Amino acid sequence: MKTPEFITDMLKKLANKGASFKDTVLKKYGEQPGTMLVHTGVLGWILSSLAQVAAVAFNDKIPAEQKVFLIPQEIGDAATNILSFYIVTQSVKSLASKLVTTGKLKNPKISAFLEKVKGIDKSKIGTWDFDITKLAGYKTGIKDDFIKFKNGVDVYASLAGSIASCNIITPIIRNKYASDKQKDVLAQMQKDKMKYLQAPRGISMNKYLQNVYAKHSELKV
Amino acid sequence: MVSVSSINNIISTASSGLKKPNVFKRLYNKLPNWEVTSDKLLTHVENFGKKCTSAHQRGILGATALLTQPFIDARNKDVDEKTRKYSVARTIAKIIAGTLTGVAIRYGCIKAMNWKPFLPSRWQSLTKDVQDQYKNAMGTIVSLVVMLFTNFLIDAPLTKFLTNVMTQNQKGDKK
Repeated sequence: MKTPEFITDMLKKLANKGASFKDTVLKKYGEQPGTMLVHTGVLGWILSSLAQVAAVAFNDKIPAEQKVFLIPQEIGDAATNILSFYIVTQSVKSLASKLVTTGKLKNPKISAFLEKVKGIDKSKIGTWDFDITKLAGYKTGIKDDFIKFKNGVDVYASLAGSIASCNIITPIIRNKYASDKQKDVLAQMQKDKMKYLQAPRGISMNKYLQNVYAKHSELKV
Repeated sequence: MVSVSSINNIISTASSGLKKPNVFKRLYNKLPNWEVTSDKLLTHVENFGKKCTSAHQRGILGATALLTQPFIDARNKDVDEKTRKYSVARTIAKIIAGTLTGVAIRYGCIKAMNWKPFLPSRWQSLTKDVQDQYKNAMGTIVSLVVMLFTNFLIDAPLTKFLTNVMTQNQKGDKK
């Protein structure tokens, strides 16, 4: 039996999409492991945060009062995790990349290459606008060694940034956020309880106050 | 009336101001240049850049999280004692569950990238380092898709189970 043409077309389109996705991954991350760790880290935090919020919400053994704290804690955790992970990790990684690209941080091979390059002002090495990758002879003279060194520094920087953001900055921020949220929600719950006391359904306020006055000992909140 | 020369002066001042490096750049430029000369350190840095996968990153993050996060939660004076204990138990449970599943799934998916359908067409022309980085990147992306399900099927129930075990132990301690 012959495969219908639209299915063949669809499979071809899917195969093309898959091939172009693989090429994009190769182009974007094939030589940049530090960037990959930052980007996939952000995605990972988004997905795991979703699961953690659900885990608290559906855990029957956690009392309601604790849930009031823990659910906002998880949401706060997610937002601060994602933001601080990206901002801190990306900043640390970018700074580390800049240090290597400008020649502020180098290995002996890069130093030797910079010594050999003619026509550059040596006093500019290590300054903000200096860029080793734009020098004549970069591709043939130092590219491989430079990339190895830069990738190592990038990965270390990504790791340091992610430890600082996820394990120190985030827990402090999320606890502050969650405890403030807990106080607000408990105050709201108390307020709602009082509202119910003051104006139960089907009774006017005056009538209810009379009842309270007459039967205050039987009242159960 | 504003003269042409004064406008020119303003423009030239502004443009010369743009050329001046800002405070951050000036601070950066004042930092001393540093050359890493230790062969041992250089080899370690370069190998780490090549070999560190997202599974390693997740493992290191989990281990350091156990050293810091429970203590931060335990010192949170903004909540009552009971909530604080739940919070610490949950944080520990979350770190253990998240790290175990995160490392295992990332590791498995990166290993699975040797399978041909995941490899790009010009695979053979790539250097060993680029091949490894590609497997690491693609494996991590695939692991995130897998974790869409395992977060709910393994991570969340395991966190719930571990939290309950730890909070039950705390109740038992009181007795």
